[in-house]
Amino acid sequence: MEIAYALKRPVRLSLRLYIRGFTVLLGESGVGKTSLLKAVAGLLPAEGEPFGGLPAERRPVGYLPQHFALFPHLRAWQNVAFPLVHWPRAQRKERALGYLAQMGIAELAERFPRELSGGQQQRVALARALAREPVLLLLDEPTSALDIGTREEVFSGVLERLRALGIPTLAASHDPWLAQRADWVGVLTREGLAQQGPPEEVFARPASLEVARLVGFRNLFQASVGAVEEGWVWVESPLGRLKALRPAWARLGQRVWLGMRSEEVFTLEGEENRLRGRLLAFWPQGLRWRGRLRVGQAELEFLLPRYRLEELGLKEGEEVGVRLEPRFLHLMPH
Amino acid sequence: MSDPVFWETLALTLRVSLVSTLILLLMGLPLAWVLAHKRFWGKRVVESVVLLPLTLPPTVLGFYLLLLLGQNGPIAQTLGFSWAFRFEGLVVGSVLFSLPLALNGYREAFRGLDLDLIQTARTLGAGWRRVWLEVILPLTWPGILSGSILAFAHTLGEFGVVLMVGGSIPGKTQMVSIYIYDQVQALRFDRANQAAGVLLLVSFALVYLVRSLEERWRSRTPSSVR
Repeated sequence: MEIAYALKRPVRLSLRLYIRGFTVLLGESGVGKTSLLKAVAGLLPAEGEPFGGLPAERRPVGYLPQHFALFPHLRAWQNVAFPLVHWPRAQRKERALGYLAQMGIAELAERFPRELSGGQQQRVALARALAREPVLLLLDEPTSALDIGTREEVFSGVLERLRALGIPTLAASHDPWLAQRADWVGVLTREGLAQQGPPEEVFARPASLEVARLVGFRNLFQASVGAVEEGWVWVESPLGRLKALRPAWARLGQRVWLGMRSEEVFTLEGEENRLRGRLLAFWPQGLRWRGRLRVGQAELEFLLPRYRLEELGLKEGEEVGVRLEPRFLHLMPH
Repeated sequence: MSDPVFWETLALTLRVSLVSTLILLLMGLPLAWVLAHKRFWGKRVVESVVLLPLTLPPTVLGFYLLLLLGQNGPIAQTLGFSWAFRFEGLVVGSVLFSLPLALNGYREAFRGLDLDLIQTARTLGAGWRRVWLEVILPLTWPGILSGSILAFAHTLGEFGVVLMVGGSIPGKTQMVSIYIYDQVQALRFDRANQAAGVLLLVSFALVYLVRSLEERWRSRTPSSVR
């Protein structure tokens, strides 16, 4: 499925995006993710396909706003029965309970929304959206209203069920974790859709500096192409002369952005791209350690599992050797 | 009570209040919705105009209405009817007089409503009719009802507007507050006392009802859902 939409207000935006399985539209707040979802749902004036021109109540989509919008005066099953008006009254409850069971929360049918946790509310809202028999689900920031501590666990359960149902889903989010779990990722910036592809491609080979920042590249440097050979280039960077994979567009003398992920700094084996730096500081991040190194004029951020930190016996202020794997160095056009 | 005119007056007052309240409901709900949720050019002017009866001396409002609705007014000359000194004139005056009060109540009720609920209801296949009947009204009726009751109570006791636009024709356009004034003027304090007592009781009961509704409404606004 592909959506192609153009809207003028509240943000000017025009994009074509494939929806493949669970698709995440990644972008910072304010770039128009929510507006796009609303436009597809028919809640904002816009031109586009599919569903172009239909009023919201006739579009076969399931729309979940950020806070799920359960009707507070209705019990869970009554919420789910809301779109079931075309069924005989006697059958509505049974069908509603069926959808709740699909989301694994049949036992919550008699509760009011205020008696449900965020994750439970989300499942009720999904059951209600499914009762609409949608051809496309639209989820606005599906992980942001969940408790931070349990959100990955809670949403993983939802994700499994959505995958089992096989309904194409478009989730707008600024959460890289969610994008990593997607089947397809689009990256939206102020200039429009910057990139789309499978998550492993978007996360490893962002198309621009902006995308690189969004998908978690912490080390980004201006550089220039100093030499070109078969499949590889040598770039002059603030870190020194480094070997990197050659992108098809790279030409001798060209100015480029050089990026590497924090977790891909510090692979010590191998000969190429060896650097020496001084360890400025490191601090725990969950069970991993994040730190900063000064290499030449530049600073390099790294992220290591704790066993690796122990193996290396690192101390703040010490000189350390670093190697950057040429295949993991990523070049972007300047 | 000894004076049969009083009962006629009370019946008329209740009738004017009831009709005005119903008209306010029909007119005020859409207007309040638009003021609460839409942005448009000249919105502040509209808001100021509908609030004007709150600050304008009732006699000024009544005076302009009298000019507008009277025998030689623009309406009589173009459309050929005059509502001054008639039931209809009383109702027009009362509607304008109580509009700010009713609108405020409705608007507060609508403002507390989460617009996501309405948009989501539409994506679930509900047309505007179902959205109003099954989402908006069930969530806002205590606020709407309390606004209506306040408008009703406000109309019961109005004086200046109805005096100007209705005169004080006993049994035809005389409302309770004017009746009380007339009795006092005639030094019949016992009758004034009885009429005032009835008005006090009714007003207290209505305000009490509004307070109870507000309690109930607050306890079920959507903010408690999250």
